[in-house]
Amino acid sequence: MADAHPLQVKDLSKQFARKRRLGSVQAISSISFDVRQGEIVGFIGHNGAGKTTTIKCVLGLLKPSEGGVSLWGSLPAAPVVRKRIGYIPENPDYDDSFNPMEYLNMFASMRGLSGLNSDWMKLLRRVGLAGWESTGIRQFSKGMRQRMSLAIALQSRPDLLIMDEPTGGLDPIARKEFREIILEENSRGASVLLSSHILSDVETICSRAIILSRGRLIAEGSMDDLLGQEHLFRITVISRKTGKEVEEIITEADLQTRIDSMRQDNLTIVKIERALKSLEDVFMAATGGSVK
Amino acid sequence: MKAVFTFSLMTLRMLFRRRTLWGILLIILLALAGIASVPSFDVSNQGRFILDFGLFGIEVGALLLALGLAATLYPRDRETRTLMPLIAVPLSRWQYLLGRFLGAALIQAAALLVTCLGLMLILLFHKLPIPGDLLPATLLIIVEGWFLLSTVFFFSFFTSPPLNWPLTTMLFIVSQMSVAEFVGLLPSAPGLMRAVRMILPHADVFHIKDPIAHGFAIEPVYFLVAIFYGLCYSAFMLSLALAVFRGRDLK
Repeated sequence: MADAHPLQVKDLSKQFARKRRLGSVQAISSISFDVRQGEIVGFIGHNGAGKTTTIKCVLGLLKPSEGGVSLWGSLPAAPVVRKRIGYIPENPDYDDSFNPMEYLNMFASMRGLSGLNSDWMKLLRRVGLAGWESTGIRQFSKGMRQRMSLAIALQSRPDLLIMDEPTGGLDPIARKEFREIILEENSRGASVLLSSHILSDVETICSRAIILSRGRLIAEGSMDDLLGQEHLFRITVISRKTGKEVEEIITEADLQTRIDSMRQDNLTIVKIERALKSLEDVFMAATGGSVK
Repeated sequence: MKAVFTFSLMTLRMLFRRRTLWGILLIILLALAGIASVPSFDVSNQGRFILDFGLFGIEVGALLLALGLAATLYPRDRETRTLMPLIAVPLSRWQYLLGRFLGAALIQAAALLVTCLGLMLILLFHKLPIPGDLLPATLLIIVEGWFLLSTVFFFSFFTSPPLNWPLTTMLFIVSQMSVAEFVGLLPSAPGLMRAVRMILPHADVFHIKDPIAHGFAIEPVYFLVAIFYGLCYSAFMLSLALAVFRGRDLK
């Protein structure tokens, strides 16, 4: 199993039963992907696209309805693989009655780590919580709780970091620090699965991205492939309703059809230019959204 | 087992820092003081009265402690998402359940020993003798408390705390009933009621307050059998709780 990928997801589906006779909700359908050694993989999608459900199936918090997950070739429940994972949940929270140092000591003991207080001080300093080690978590802001979560995830020097919206709600400086830490961990050899709504973060640090929409995997590839696989154009027209300029991103294949329809609608085309694609453009095009 | 031990200590510390424990403990001690202040019509029965009602008060205290300490543990862990990082990485579900149970059981036992000490002080204050079986009687109530605690954990995996309270209390009341009393609830189906009563717990085995109050000696083997029964039933309830918990999706 030494050559198995850190994470392999195969035909994963999850249905949630609804109360009474309302049937069931298909949260994710036949999703397959993997995270290879040393990769940072971005996991993106709308709210409710199935990102958190997939992550919870990967971690064994949810039981898949169909398909399966393997971590280095083993089941997620195997203790040997759980030790190699660091997890940052969405909106993390911890018991208010403890302070970070107590938490780190308890988690270390539960994980069988032999760290000292000085090691945890270094870790807290690294995630930006220096000076807060003895302060009760009840006094922590959302951002500080996320930093705490990062400290716990990094404590065991994990081989696979699974992060569910780790930078949501953080200020730009904290986001930058988080990105730097993720890159440092990656350069140490850790693989990362990063679920995020902040597409610029994903674009900056990920080598590959997976796009989910309505529980289905709709696009996957290296960042270079995703950003360069088709030509996009930006059309600027005058809106008849507001009289203001409106932009629309369109693929090369659809360009002529869209221009014809705009002409038929008597819209004034101000300019047509080649658009440099961002991950947001790819995401919008893939999920059927548009950039205005 | 190191993870379970650490997690149980974490639970113990967490519960120790919550006001719920101290609030319930204060209520029990005030209730004991209240019982002791009720004047007995017959001065020679004062000791019997305090012992009988005092041990009953401690037993009800065990129920209150079980509910107050454990009914919100799992629901709160889920609501605040404290559960996710625990179950996702360092702990498996059985370790979580056992750690939480052991932590709560230790603090519940400590609180009940404090109430026993309170009862002893009341007896001393009234210049009454302290029976030798008072401590073993409290030990049996502690074991009953653990059984109640495991019941609270069982219900907490599929009900809300407001529903957990009446369900556990109902089981507590039913578990005190004799077979005849239980059959009397539905006299038209005595066979069924007898069978159901066999399955339901017999918490009456933990009650030795009457013999103690009346000065009868209790055989050591009775204590051992009662403790063994209580521990086995607690383990059974925890196994049921684990079966429910294992089937749960942690959304």
